[in-house]
Amino acid sequence: MDWIKQIVRMLLVMALQVLLFNQLQLYGLCRPYVYVLCLLMMPVTLPLTVDMLVGVALGLVMDIFCNSLGIHMAACVLVMFLRHRMLRNAVADFERLTGEVAIASVGLEVFIRYSAALILIHHAVIFLLSAWGWAHLGWSLLQTLVSSVVTFLLVMLYCIVHDR
Amino acid sequence: MQDLLKFILRYGNFLVFLLLEVVALLLVLTYNDYPRSTAFSTANSLVATQYRMRSNVTDYFALKQTNNLLAEENAFLRSQLDACGTLPDDSVRRQNTQGAFCYFPARVIQADTYDKHNYLTIDRGAAHGLRQGMGVRSVTGAVGVVSTVGEHYAVIIPLIHTRSRLSCRFLKDGYVGTLRWDGQDVFHAMLDDVAVHEQVAEGDTIITSGLTNAFPEGVPVGVVEKCTLAQGASYYTIRLRLLTDFKRLRYVQVLSNLHSEEIESLTDGLD
Repeated sequence: MDWIKQIVRMLLVMALQVLLFNQLQLYGLCRPYVYVLCLLMMPVTLPLTVDMLVGVALGLVMDIFCNSLGIHMAACVLVMFLRHRMLRNAVADFERLTGEVAIASVGLEVFIRYSAALILIHHAVIFLLSAWGWAHLGWSLLQTLVSSVVTFLLVMLYCIVHDR
Repeated sequence: MQDLLKFILRYGNFLVFLLLEVVALLLVLTYNDYPRSTAFSTANSLVATQYRMRSNVTDYFALKQTNNLLAEENAFLRSQLDACGTLPDDSVRRQNTQGAFCYFPARVIQADTYDKHNYLTIDRGAAHGLRQGMGVRSVTGAVGVVSTVGEHYAVIIPLIHTRSRLSCRFLKDGYVGTLRWDGQDVFHAMLDDVAVHEQVAEGDTIITSGLTNAFPEGVPVGVVEKCTLAQGASYYTIRLRLLTDFKRLRYVQVLSNLHSEEIESLTDGLD
């Protein structure tokens, strides 16, 4: 049942991402990749390799919609790889964490640190790879910062509404 | 051997991670310039259908502006038609050396304008006769070139893509230059290869040169906005205001050169 919920959420969030959030422009500065939410909240019960393959799948779908083959895939795989390790370090009873990763299950402070760090990494990989080179480094970093903040706020909003 | 197995078991996840990242980076390296694959791009029917459904809704919000554009184009075409009618039949009509072009109407269902690598997706594909390399124009000016063609959809590389190049000329005297986008903003582009002996003035109109198969001569491209000459340089730095508004692009025309096969067969032998 829990996995059905995850899959339904992935479909809905991806649709929102492609049809709505990808259209936000603001001079190209604000491109919130909110779909990373699905990866962040997935339960950590699957083996790490399977987790990373989920990242590949979600990243590839996003890449096809953005004509950017490989970029979202690289970012998603990295997020999935780091996720386990971060949670293992941050949560005392990691073994008992069977449900989805949310504010209720890991605590507000841990969740904020966990999602903020991963969102920043995810966005940095995407914007640096899209610019492909150091020529526009300042601009890419600015894009990363602004978009990460917006994504983070949207993710927190979702989590708070979701826990209610 | 045992050690190797132990190593793989210990670091298996990390090795899988490395493998996946290498695959992703190879994909980026291979596909970063252009979307070369029909399946893994927005020319993919499944993907493009989502975009078409969205534009089915959002297009309604732009109906008034679309109508205005069409009315303006109708007026322009009618004035050209009248001008044709009044010309004497003998010498003034110029033969188009490029041969005839056939126009397909198409709707833009997805457009990027915020990236360095921007793409457009249109709802016409191989089934409607589109092929790679065809030119695309809007009511107001040149748009780009067809890149990846799916069965019912195609991806276009617009002028506002950092790898896009277009051969252009000055309307007033036919001097040829190359259009290039510097990635700054979607309203402007640069015109390269214009040497200092050419007289350039702000407000000069730039049109397609007709030297490529994609466009006939004379499709409007841009207007010179700023022309500077660096110390000791032999070429101008020319900034154009593009005549196509990529932010509001909804309907385009794909240009099929009816003689392109013949032209290609002639030039292929030269390589």
